[in-house]
Amino acid sequence: MSTGSAMSTGSAMSTPSATLGATVELARLWSDPYPIYRELRRREPVAWVPAANRYLVARHRDVVALERDPETFSAAERDSLMIRVMGHTMIRKDGAAHARERAAAEPPMRPRVVANHWTTLFQRTADELVDGLYDRGEADLLRDFAGPYAARNLGLVLGLPDAAPADLQEWSQAMMDATGNYVDDPTVWRRSQTAAQQVDDAIDDVLGHLRRRPDESVISAMLHATDPLSVEEIRANVKVIIGGGLNEPRDSLAVGAWALLTHPEQRAAVEADPSLWRRAFEETVRWVSPIGMYPRQTTREVVLGGTRIEAGARIGVLIGSANRDETVFADPDRFDLHRKPNSHVAFGGGPHFCLGSWLARSQVSQVAWPTLFRRLPGLQLAPEPEVELGGWVFRGVLNLPVRWTP
Amino acid sequence: MPKIIYVDPDGTRHVVDAPDGTSLMQAAVANGVEGVLGECGGSAMCATCHVYVDPADGGRLPELGADEDEMLDSTASPRTTASRLSCQLTASEDLDGLVVRLPEEQI
Ligand code: HEM
Ligand code: FES
Repeated sequence: MSTGSAMSTGSAMSTPSATLGATVELARLWSDPYPIYRELRRREPVAWVPAANRYLVARHRDVVALERDPETFSAAERDSLMIRVMGHTMIRKDGAAHARERAAAEPPMRPRVVANHWTTLFQRTADELVDGLYDRGEADLLRDFAGPYAARNLGLVLGLPDAAPADLQEWSQAMMDATGNYVDDPTVWRRSQTAAQQVDDAIDDVLGHLRRRPDESVISAMLHATDPLSVEEIRANVKVIIGGGLNEPRDSLAVGAWALLTHPEQRAAVEADPSLWRRAFEETVRWVSPIGMYPRQTTREVVLGGTRIEAGARIGVLIGSANRDETVFADPDRFDLHRKPNSHVAFGGGPHFCLGSWLARSQVSQVAWPTLFRRLPGLQLAPEPEVELGGWVFRGVLNLPVRWTP
Repeated sequence: MPKIIYVDPDGTRHVVDAPDGTSLMQAAVANGVEGVLGECGGSAMCATCHVYVDPADGGRLPELGADEDEMLDSTASPRTTASRLSCQLTASEDLDGLVVRLPEEQI
C-alpha cells in the first residue's frame, strides 16, 4: 500500500504557476483522494501535478477517450521501474508485441474456464480458510481471509500450487513497492530482487512438468500457446500477474465486505437475492477502485479535456476519480449496489483491459462473499479498532476487524 | 456506406454510418452511442458490447463464434436468442439498415 507515497519526486513548490495541480500533495491523496479528485474534475480535469510528475486525468469522459486511443496514449512508458523490477511484461508493451503475449496468457482466464474449473477450487480455498477461523469467533478479514484467499487462488491459477500464500503475498508486495521506488531506496530494490529470484525459482520448478503435462494453468497456457512464450517472457508475465492479480481481489473482497457490513439494507438485499452479489462487486470496484491510477505516456502532442499535452508526457489515468464522476454516477460517493447502469472503468479499457476480471468476479462475488456471509453466523464489524483506508494508486481498507457467533 | 440503426431501451434511435470493415462496436462508440461500452477494445473479453439483433435480421449475420458464445453467458443484461457481441460483427453493405437493440446495462 505504500506505492502511492513512494511516487514523490519533488515538492509541490517546484512549479511557480498557481494551478490546482501544483498544490496536490501525495500524502493527502494517499489518505483520502476523493475530495481532491472532485476539485480536479471541476476545475482542472487534466492537471499537471508536479508531486506525481504526471498529468492526472480526472474525468470519466476523458479517461474513456484516452483508453480508446492506445496509439497516442502508449503503455510503453520510458524508464519504467516496473521493467527494472519484473522484466518487460505485457502491461508495458503496445500493439502486436503486446497482443501476442496477452493471447498466450488469456485462455485460462476466460469466463468458461473460470466457471467450470476455477470456481470449484476457489470454493475449496474459501471453505478451508473459514474452517480454520470459525471457532475463534473473530478475525481481521483482510489479514486472515482476503489476503491468503487471493494468494492461494492466484497460485492455483498461475500453475504454482505449491507456493505458500505468505510467499506469494511477500513477492507481490515487494515487487509492487519497487515499481514505485522513485526515491531509489536500496532496501526496496534488494527486497524486490529477492522476490523476483524466488519467483523465477518457483517457475523453474514447474516448467518441466507443465511442458510434459499441460493443464488449465496460466504458465501451461503460455508454454503451449500457438505462439508459445519464451522462458524469459513467462518469467516477466508471471511477475506482473503476481503483482497485479493479488492485492486487487484482496482489496475488493475486503472493501465490499466492509460496505455490506455497514449498509444493513443492502446486505439484507444480497442475502435475500444471490443474483445481487455481482452488482455488489461492480459497485465495490466503482466505489473504491482497487487500482486508482495507472500510467501512460503520450506518443504525440494531443489535446485532452481542453488541455494541450506535449509528446512524451507522462500521464496518470485516474480511474478512481472517473468512477466518482458526478456527471456519470448520481451521488457518486454513496455505495449503492442498485445503481443502474454502472458504467465504471475499474478494469481499465482498451488493449490492456484487465485479463483477470472474470477470475476476480468469481473469487470475490460468486465464492468469497456468499461463503463468509452464509457460514459466519451473525457476522458483524467489531467495535474496534476502527477500519482505516489508504492509498490512491492502489486503495483499500488497511484492516477489517469482524466478529461472529460460532 | 452501410447504415446501422442502434435503438436505446427507451426507443431512441441512432442512425450511424458504419464504414465497411469496422465493427458495430467501433461504429457505435465512434458515434457517441453510449449504450455500447466496448471496454476491451474488441477482443471478446469484456462482454460490454452486448446487443440484440431481431431474429428476422439475424439471418444476415455470421454464426456465433466460440469466444462470442462464451462471453454472452456473462453479460450484465439477460442473454436471449437475439444476443450478439457487436465487436464481433463487421459492417458491410449486407448489413445496411440493420436494427440493433441496446440492453439496459453493460456492466
Ligand atoms: C478486482 C480485481 C482487479 C482489478 C480492479 C483489476 C484492475 C486492472 C486494471 C485497471 C488493469 C489495466 C492496467 C493498465 O492498463 O495499465 C488491469 C490489467 C491487468 N490485470 Fe487486473 N485487476 C483485477 C484483478 C486481476 C486478477 C485476479 C488478475 C490475474 C490473475 C489480473 C491480471 C491483470 C493483467 C495480466 C493485466 C494486464 C493486461 C494487459 O496488459 O493486457 N487482474 N487490471
Ligand atoms: S468490446 Fe469487449 S467483448 Fe466486445
